[in-house]
Amino acid sequence: MGKVMILNGSPRAPKSNSKIYSDIFRKYCKLDTEYFNISKTNHIELCKKIGEFSDVLVVFPLYADSLPVTLLNFLKNLELNPPEKKPVISLLVNCGFIEYQQNDIAVKMMEQFCKKNEYKMGSVLKIGSGEAILTTFFNVLVKMKIRRLAYSVANKKYKTFTLTMPLSKRSFIKASTKYWDNYGKNNGVTHEEMDTMNIES
Amino acid sequence: MSEKMKLILSDTNLNIKPQNDTTFIDLSSLKITNCVGCFGCWTKTPGKCVIRDDAVKVYPLIAKSDRVMYISRTKYGGYDTVMKTMLERAIPIQKAFIRLVNGETHHVQRDVLPKSATIIAYGEISDEEKEIFKDLILRNAYNMNFTDYNIIFTSEEMLEETVRGEVLKWEK
Repeated sequence: MGKVMILNGSPRAPKSNSKIYSDIFRKYCKLDTEYFNISKTNHIELCKKIGEFSDVLVVFPLYADSLPVTLLNFLKNLELNPPEKKPVISLLVNCGFIEYQQNDIAVKMMEQFCKKNEYKMGSVLKIGSGEAILTTFFNVLVKMKIRRLAYSVANKKYKTFTLTMPLSKRSFIKASTKYWDNYGKNNGVTHEEMDTMNIES
Repeated sequence: MSEKMKLILSDTNLNIKPQNDTTFIDLSSLKITNCVGCFGCWTKTPGKCVIRDDAVKVYPLIAKSDRVMYISRTKYGGYDTVMKTMLERAIPIQKAFIRLVNGETHHVQRDVLPKSATIIAYGEISDEEKEIFKDLILRNAYNMNFTDYNIIFTSEEMLEETVRGEVLKWEK
């Protein structure tokens, strides 16, 4: 029986959507799972543990079109401190844009890491509209898709899955504006203030 | 927006002497920590990063420049840590709000000049990594307001010479 290590590569790991995605995965995965945030200080500890698992699920957001630095730095350390037994690496990547395809570069970079370091790539779930989808009634789609991801990892039937909000782009832009307006409102900041053209002034 | 400028961001110090209208920044000499994804620059202090380190001096210059040159080692087909850390910290120059660019959703820019970009990627880069990097810069072009761009791959040994050649082209 395998065991899955879940690595959260979000810079705001404990409060991140990646944590929520990870929790959903843990709920549906029939294998034992262990969850870890990647921090600046625990790379070596994680490198030592990784060999104990049959599978790793790396959960992360897209940052500036590619891997977040938090994850990139960990991968560089893992390259220097490889485990004896290498697990299969699966991915759950999300971006705030409606096009889940905007995650493709990050997935290709992870494939490069795996190829260079002789890890087998497992399943991939690419989520679009990933910042807001969990707060909408479309979160039922998230659960369904992560359930399928968890099944594929547990049964070693690795596959690529995709998901985004089933909205037109125009509707998505309207919904995302509302989402960010509410975000600002919770901080006491108006739409007009958030819409400023000023930078550092 | 004040006068236009040219900006060279490098992840390593280089012995080059650009003209007066060009600012050269060696990012490796600055103190720049990584973005913590708090969305403060969008929803608390719009246009300003809540982390007050050297990055706050750099992203306004990115916004003001109509020509940029980014010089970076690559890793797994993307920018290596030093450049990537700065680019992640540059999100205060964008708004949280989304717009359509060439039919795709992207963030709305604040007062950011459209720019012509030269990207110099150096190190040992495989053909596969080069293809990923080209795809990455295409995506950056949409998100970072590039009107046009040129990607140059070079070795570490040839880096300074390559940069000098590109800076000379700017000066013509």
